[in-house]
Amino acid sequence: MKPIEKKHIRLRTILIGFIFSIFLSVIGARAFYLQVFCSSWLSRKAANQYEKSLIFHGKRGTIYDTNHREMALSIDVISIVAYPPNIKDPAAISRSLNKTLEIDVNSLNQRLTSDRSFVWVKRKVTPKEVKDVKALDLKGIDFIAEHERFYPNKTLAAQVLGFSGIDEHGLEGIEYYYDTYLKGSTCRFTVLKDAFKRGFDTEKNVMPDCSGNNLILTIDYNIQYLAERALEEASVKFNAKSGMAIVMSPKTGAILAVAHYPFFNPNSFGEFDRNLWRNRSITDSFEPGSTMKIFSACAAIEFGGCSSNTIFFCENGKYKIGKNIVNDTHPHGWLSLQHIIKFSSNIGTVKISERIGPEHIYKTFSSFGFGEKTGIDCPGETSGGLSHYNTWAKIDAGAIAFGQGVAVSALQLITAASAIANDGILMAPYIVQAITDQNGRLIKSSSPRIVRRVVSLDTARIVKKIMASVTTEGGTGVNAALEGYAVCGKTGTAQKIDKKGTYSDEKYTASFLGFIPADDPEITVLVVIDEPRGKHYGSIVAAPAFKRIAHETANYMNIPLTVDNSFGRLVDMRIHENGARG
Amino acid sequence: MTKQLPKNNLQSGYDIKLLFPVLFLVGIGIVMVYSSSSALALKEFGIDYYFFKKQTFFSLLGIFALVSCRHIPLKLFRSLAYPFLFLAFLLLIAVKFSELGITVGGSTRWLRLGFFTFQPSEFARFSLVLFLAYSMSKKLDKLKDFSIGFLPHLMVFVIFAILIFLQPDFGSVIIFGAVTWIMLFVGGARILHLLTPLLIFLPALYIFMINAPYRLKRMMSFWDPWQYSTDEGYQMIHSFMAFGTGGIWGTGIGKSYQKLFYLPEPHTDFIFSVIGEELGFLGVLVILFLYFVILWRGINIAINADEPFGSFMAIGLTIAIGLQVCINMGVTLGLLPTKGLALPFLSYGGTSLLINMASIGVLMNIGASANALKTQRGRKQNAKNK
Repeated sequence: MKPIEKKHIRLRTILIGFIFSIFLSVIGARAFYLQVFCSSWLSRKAANQYEKSLIFHGKRGTIYDTNHREMALSIDVISIVAYPPNIKDPAAISRSLNKTLEIDVNSLNQRLTSDRSFVWVKRKVTPKEVKDVKALDLKGIDFIAEHERFYPNKTLAAQVLGFSGIDEHGLEGIEYYYDTYLKGSTCRFTVLKDAFKRGFDTEKNVMPDCSGNNLILTIDYNIQYLAERALEEASVKFNAKSGMAIVMSPKTGAILAVAHYPFFNPNSFGEFDRNLWRNRSITDSFEPGSTMKIFSACAAIEFGGCSSNTIFFCENGKYKIGKNIVNDTHPHGWLSLQHIIKFSSNIGTVKISERIGPEHIYKTFSSFGFGEKTGIDCPGETSGGLSHYNTWAKIDAGAIAFGQGVAVSALQLITAASAIANDGILMAPYIVQAITDQNGRLIKSSSPRIVRRVVSLDTARIVKKIMASVTTEGGTGVNAALEGYAVCGKTGTAQKIDKKGTYSDEKYTASFLGFIPADDPEITVLVVIDEPRGKHYGSIVAAPAFKRIAHETANYMNIPLTVDNSFGRLVDMRIHENGARG
Repeated sequence: MTKQLPKNNLQSGYDIKLLFPVLFLVGIGIVMVYSSSSALALKEFGIDYYFFKKQTFFSLLGIFALVSCRHIPLKLFRSLAYPFLFLAFLLLIAVKFSELGITVGGSTRWLRLGFFTFQPSEFARFSLVLFLAYSMSKKLDKLKDFSIGFLPHLMVFVIFAILIFLQPDFGSVIIFGAVTWIMLFVGGARILHLLTPLLIFLPALYIFMINAPYRLKRMMSFWDPWQYSTDEGYQMIHSFMAFGTGGIWGTGIGKSYQKLFYLPEPHTDFIFSVIGEELGFLGVLVILFLYFVILWRGINIAINADEPFGSFMAIGLTIAIGLQVCINMGVTLGLLPTKGLALPFLSYGGTSLLINMASIGVLMNIGASANALKTQRGRKQNAKNK
């Protein structure tokens, strides 16, 4: 090769190398421009595509009964939404959606043409509607998951559970009271999507734990059911305005059933009178009448030095105190304390109160919890009405002693009676026994809480025996007597105060309060029938419902039959009587 | 006067300055092919390492090719110039006009060969360089002659160009043309001669662009990809996003978002974008530096070659690699309109890897024989001095 040729090639080769160096420098400069100067802008632009920020409303927790049966739960539903900026032909989309979803074309068209980035098309649609709309394959129409509250047992325990609204906020009952626990949290989280809009980052894609917590009630579905049936039967039979029945465990204060008549269905609460919604056994107070006499009897034994055989003169049915006259249904002469309760003598009870004085009546009643809230975990509890004894007129002490001039809630009444059943120890009533998270892990549990000792063990036992005699031959509560169990009970027949402010002769509150078995009470039951028609005595209207509830609950719970000697005589006697009747 | 003998570039050894960057790039390539293709492979073939496995296999085969080409006597290459040219011609015919051709995305670029596919255009490029180097070295004195030194070489290019254009593989046509043009330029062809094909080519290009609207749109999208973000400019802006997201330090290996089906060919044409995203600007600089070293060595070998054939061969192979690098990177960075071209040593693709590594082997071979000659001369010089 000639040197000149070689030099020529050499120069041109170096030139090529030089040009390549320039190319690579330009590439480097361009990379620098994109990766350093435009980095934040470009990465934001990219993130807009592969990151999707979602707002997720956590599912509301489930409410279970004591056996983990679902009482209220949230189910997944689909709502159809639209993103108006992505919609090219709103009119056509409105028309096709109108057909499949049966919604108004004009209002939909208005929504689709609005300048908002997100509008609802139809909330909580059926699976078929979802399928149909998906088949249309419309651009700018999307489906989002929502939750809807569902009460599988319909009317069962509706007033206890309450309900929640369309946005899953508790509005009534337990749903309202425990809303902070039940409601799912709202979480904003980011999903990363590939170009096919599938989430890919498994770690970040895990749904955050924003589901609400579950409640486990003390309510037992089966007891609730049988209580409702018995209450319904009594209420319908006596054409009553309304009715309530509560079943409680006296040893713990746990509420096993709270029935209200008339019923309502929380799945469509809007279709029912709003007065049916609340848990009246807790929110409403009423004059209890004779059921209060058992607490007066407690006061007599505890403070008046009485025994069940202490006798009082019952004035042969009419007793004048100042301007007022107290009547008994049947005139009685001398009656023992036991018989005053057994025959439900008002005059006898007045005599008791005269013996022990208003202060002890008041203190005993207060101690049983009347006049103050029980503190149960339900909204809107009433404290009832028990005025201080300083303000009582002469007649008041006696009237209050037999249940007039005092207002109580059904819950207060059954809780107080349970204290007698529980040997004088008042337990705080409760309705939620545990709170668990969505994985079933325990967050909080309620254990039985002793409020105070109200009366001595002896007093409680004496009153129990007195109450057991109520359901025996000659007692007012004989309709509540059960085979195999000694039943402690007390009837209540209270005149209601009418519009004029005087006691009505037509409107009564008939009730029965009691517990079984007498020797070792497992359940306390209260039945309150408001304004029964025809008959109005607690012994006739409420006692049979009590009997049915107590009997079926005892069967369901396998409560052992009464064998205790001190009550055995009563049982034998009753069986004999029943046999003789049969 | 004793000439300092180069000690590190031994006659029988390997040019470390060439070997190291190539092996480094091939290594990065295997990692990045796996990173960028695993999602695609999982979707298409159900196994995430489908492309990784093949790339690893071809890398080992590539090393074998490199070693072979390093040791095959240069004379043998010279004698293979025409057979290779003919073989390349046959393969290009076969890919277009036989049952063996595989069509992917509208382009017929691959031949089915048993378990593997072969891309004849890669081999044709090597053959073209070999033929041009051989022919030009023979006609060294007549290169300035239009009909002897210029036209025959141009004709060979035109035949190849037409066959590849039919596939179609417009990017390769550009590479072939540029390689031919630059080699003739380096060989000493007259500038006037070199300009004549441009006078024919440019109006042809113009008509070609006007007649195919999608090509025009592609050209337009290159100027303003954001305006065509959903269709023609789609790949471009996602490539930009990849580089931008990577920033200076990168998101880390395996953490690219754009490879997740946003970028259409993350393991082949757009692997540089994924590298930009995962390894950042620093990674890009390292890659650029490695290519620069390879090109610099290639140019160096071309300059120092002991004979015109080696010199032309070296410059041809170097610019073939360099042009692929510059065009591919230029496309991913939005400096050039979109072309389907692989990035040498990094992109997935067996034939490309084999041919490029073989090219490096040949480059080393040329460099070593020049050194051998120098050593010989040096010895003679030393002997004379004594």
